[in-house]
Amino acid sequence: MIHFHDVSKYYDNQTALRKITFSIEKGEMVFITGLSGSGKTTLLKLTYLAEKPDEGNISVAGMEINKLKESSIPLLRRHIGVVFQDFRLLDSRDVFENVALALRIRGVNDKELKARVFDSLKIVNLRHRSDSYPHALSGGEQQRVAIARAIVSDPTIILADEPTGNVDPDTSAGIIRTFKDINARGATILIATHDRALFKNTGRRVLKLDSGNLTGEELG
Amino acid sequence: MAFSYAFKLAARSILHEKWINLLSILTIASGLLFTAITVLSVYNVDIATKKLPEKFSVMLYLKDNLSGEELENIINTARKDDAVKTVKYIPRDEAMKELKTTLKDTKYVLDGLGENPLPDSIEVKLKYEAVGPEIAKRLTAKLREIKGIDEIEYGEKFLSSIYSIKVGMNTIGIVFVIIMSAGMIFVCYSTVKILFYRKNDEIETYKLLGATGRFIRAPFIIEGAVIGFSGGLLSLIGILSLYYTVIFRLSYTIPLFKAVVFPVNISLFLPLVGLFLGMAGAVIAIGRIRY
Repeated sequence: MIHFHDVSKYYDNQTALRKITFSIEKGEMVFITGLSGSGKTTLLKLTYLAEKPDEGNISVAGMEINKLKESSIPLLRRHIGVVFQDFRLLDSRDVFENVALALRIRGVNDKELKARVFDSLKIVNLRHRSDSYPHALSGGEQQRVAIARAIVSDPTIILADEPTGNVDPDTSAGIIRTFKDINARGATILIATHDRALFKNTGRRVLKLDSGNLTGEELG
Repeated sequence: MAFSYAFKLAARSILHEKWINLLSILTIASGLLFTAITVLSVYNVDIATKKLPEKFSVMLYLKDNLSGEELENIINTARKDDAVKTVKYIPRDEAMKELKTTLKDTKYVLDGLGENPLPDSIEVKLKYEAVGPEIAKRLTAKLREIKGIDEIEYGEKFLSSIYSIKVGMNTIGIVFVIIMSAGMIFVCYSTVKILFYRKNDEIETYKLLGATGRFIRAPFIIEGAVIGFSGGLLSLIGILSLYYTVIFRLSYTIPLFKAVVFPVNISLFLPLVGLFLGMAGAVIAIGRIRY
């Protein structure tokens, strides 16, 4: 589902990623771990094409990213639900509208949209905050809204960048349970985290990044 | 669904940024109002000059004692010209009769003349589309070469100045309309560009969530269209008010204003022109959506 082959990325002569090669098959749930600045976010950005690789080939959901036309980028992104590190919630929209946005972009009708948004908010335990605005939510709640938005469109791939960065351990465990449930329904999930506790005893593959190099792989 | 959502977003943005939008609407309204006044002036000058060909004629004053053959030759040469519509021979007696009719109560001025001093003449009327200084000049030059014509008169200076005014007004009108249209497109462009920059973060999020260019553009284009349409509507109200409160009233006291023609049907297009300019400005402002 996600394939990197010899992928490198540079920013102003600084190497963010160096000759990264790995594959994630359909239905897998994989963690990427490493210290801050190890290249986790860059790797995710390359996957949803917020950045383009300087070298190497990437294939996502059967699409060769290097050969993808600009007009096809939205199509690729619709296969992917992203939980951004900075959430990217819209301050002028309430929780419902923030989550609904992912479906509006896909042209889902109002009736279906309402049902799916409430289902997603229920999964992240925020059904009761649907009328609230992001500024009225705690960091953890904002993160859960971002997760609800990422899963609401039932994407084939979910990318999560530090999805538990702002939450307490209990909520964190809840979020991972949520990802496992979504994964059990067939979605491929890639989670970037520096928190080792998150993947400990999960039995899932963990890719280790260090200063832009893929240094190894282990089971959580 | 997506279209109604775009409308909702546009409406929200218009209300949220009401002052900048209001300013743009007023700027467009005044621009369109000035444009409409210019077009109205050009339109009226055009109508006035269109009536001219019906009255315009080239008079050929003939030499005395022409033979029938010579007269026929002049008439036939004039008739054969592509620009000529009719050719009418006016004998001197008929010309005098006509002069007396024209002079009416003051015809006594002719009493002491004794013999009719007027020459025989030929009135040449040109085809509607041929009336103009160039063709009149060409035709008179051609006719002057024929034997038997004493003098040719067609109001050369008058015709030239009327056509200069017409061409001048048309040119000024076109240039003014182009400049004002560009100005109004620029106003919409700037407004939408500012809104677009302000919403840059939001647009980035749309893109990352898989929004197409159409989804991103639609609310801004609708917003530009609403701004342009509102400006057009205001200018329509402005031009109607100007006509009915100023020109219409003035026509009772100053006869010249009675001649002003106001094309109500055409002025109804103002909101549509505004809508088009607004949309054009928005489209240019957004440009190509880059991912």
